[in-house]
Amino acid sequence: MNRKEPILKRSLVWQLISFALFFGLWELAGRWPVSLAFPSFSKTFLALVRITADGSLPKAYLVTLQPLLIGIALCGIAGIGFGIGMGLSRAIEWASLPLFIILQAAPMAAIIPLITYIYGIGLTAKVLAVVFLAAPVVVMNSYKGIRNTNPSLIQMCRSFLGTRRQEVIKIILPHAGALIFAGLRLGLAMGFIGVVIAELLITPTGIGDLITYHSSVADYPEMFATIVSIIVIAALAIHGLERLEQKIFPPEIRGS
Amino acid sequence: MKLRQTIVLLLVILLSATAAWAQQRTKIRYALGDVVSIDELPLLIAAERAKARGVDVEITAFKSEDVATQAVINGQADIGQGTPYAALQKVGAPIRFFYQLSALLFFPIVNKEFYKSWKDLDGQEIAVHTRGSGTEAIMNLAAKEHKIKYKNVSYVPGSQVRALALLKGNIKATILDASNKNMVMKEQPDKFLILPLGNVKASDEALFATREFLDKKQAGVRIFLEELTKVNRAINANPNWVLEERKKLGLLKDLPAKLEGEILPFYREAVQNGVFPNDGGGDSAAKNDLEFFRLSGALKGENLKVEDFWHLAPLKAALANVK
Repeated sequence: MNRKEPILKRSLVWQLISFALFFGLWELAGRWPVSLAFPSFSKTFLALVRITADGSLPKAYLVTLQPLLIGIALCGIAGIGFGIGMGLSRAIEWASLPLFIILQAAPMAAIIPLITYIYGIGLTAKVLAVVFLAAPVVVMNSYKGIRNTNPSLIQMCRSFLGTRRQEVIKIILPHAGALIFAGLRLGLAMGFIGVVIAELLITPTGIGDLITYHSSVADYPEMFATIVSIIVIAALAIHGLERLEQKIFPPEIRGS
Repeated sequence: MKLRQTIVLLLVILLSATAAWAQQRTKIRYALGDVVSIDELPLLIAAERAKARGVDVEITAFKSEDVATQAVINGQADIGQGTPYAALQKVGAPIRFFYQLSALLFFPIVNKEFYKSWKDLDGQEIAVHTRGSGTEAIMNLAAKEHKIKYKNVSYVPGSQVRALALLKGNIKATILDASNKNMVMKEQPDKFLILPLGNVKASDEALFATREFLDKKQAGVRIFLEELTKVNRAINANPNWVLEERKKLGLLKDLPAKLEGEILPFYREAVQNGVFPNDGGGDSAAKNDLEFFRLSGALKGENLKVEDFWHLAPLKAALANVK
């Protein structure tokens, strides 16, 4: 315990140094300037404070989080269910695996505008954009988690005369839990990408509106501040989930 | 031996002649923030004619006006097309407008089932291009004029997208450019109504470049502006001229037949509404723009000066050569 603390402290110092270095380089690049449209770190930071204080950033997040949360919830319930189904049943796998492989490989930025032709420009289209990006990762991870269950564990269950139900509930699902959760985390990362692309490509609302508006009136510090804020929030959310994942599924379980 | 010497001599002469020819030609990198379509025909015609006079105008189509503006700000393009007044004011870049290509022409259009006049739009939802765009400014000016207030303004970029949304019934009141307005009225003539608009005078597309470029390439810019002005005048005299020139120069060869039929009505309507200035806009266009974009919120501050946004010398030089 005693030994661990200095290491932690030291790594925190290194982290702070790397942040300082990054922001310092950014400040230099902005002052040099790389481009007249590239604001320095200090200007961006002040802009971030400004748009937070005047309420436009929090308001934008309220709008952006709607399709993101709905989409991720849909993926969390239907996506995981579907992935488990695919893992357990050859018929479901046969029918739907190609679809998810195609979705995973498809260039989403090109497909999202197509959604508008069918679902218009409202919330539905944006939720779908999130689902299209997040679902393949969530489904495929759940499916692989189920499929990769250690066969000797299943053999063991069977030799103890376990029913199929017991096999699924007591062996397969707990074993796949870690991968399923990792899928959800990756799905959230994709969901952030999806919601921002949707807000930039379908109709500018929320964060997408702030980015397009500030860029159109040449408020570049505000535009960068918005972009940085979504990156930070996405990174924190994903990091938080990763922490949670490590807590629920410590390495000794995951490694089995 | 003699033959070899002659060949070498000929080669040298040929090479230096090519080099001289290349040096005489001026290259202008032109950033267009739009897909090249029928509304760019005057530009394409002028570029072809400038080419014959030793000015190569290389047109690159970017995804949006913003990207095209960035290309000019960062020096990857010489001339940009659009109305980035806000960028000019805020970035403090030494960039100036110098020619008005076309004036704004937009049509507020509503679904007849729901609205019949401006008054009906009071407390209703409308859709415009983007926040701070010309379309929003026009709708806001109209609201002021008719003393109404919209409940909500939603942003749907692209006239074509709004036209489709209107046809599908997703939106009930919006503002469209001429070609999309014509498309909507052709598809379902009885369903929609165009609301009357007071006189809005502002640039839809203007040309801008850095002062450095304008000073350095004076001759090339002058020739290009002369040709643009001549093209506009020819179109204003006879909209049919666009069709003839397109055929003669072989422009936009792969245009779908449906769009081909839209060329003449588009130019007739534009000419009727005075979209193409005969004199490149100049001082009066600059003043109108400053007023309009200040009202739209794109420009901030009072007492905006023309010389902070426009550089009129290239246009004057060009007009002096065009009778």
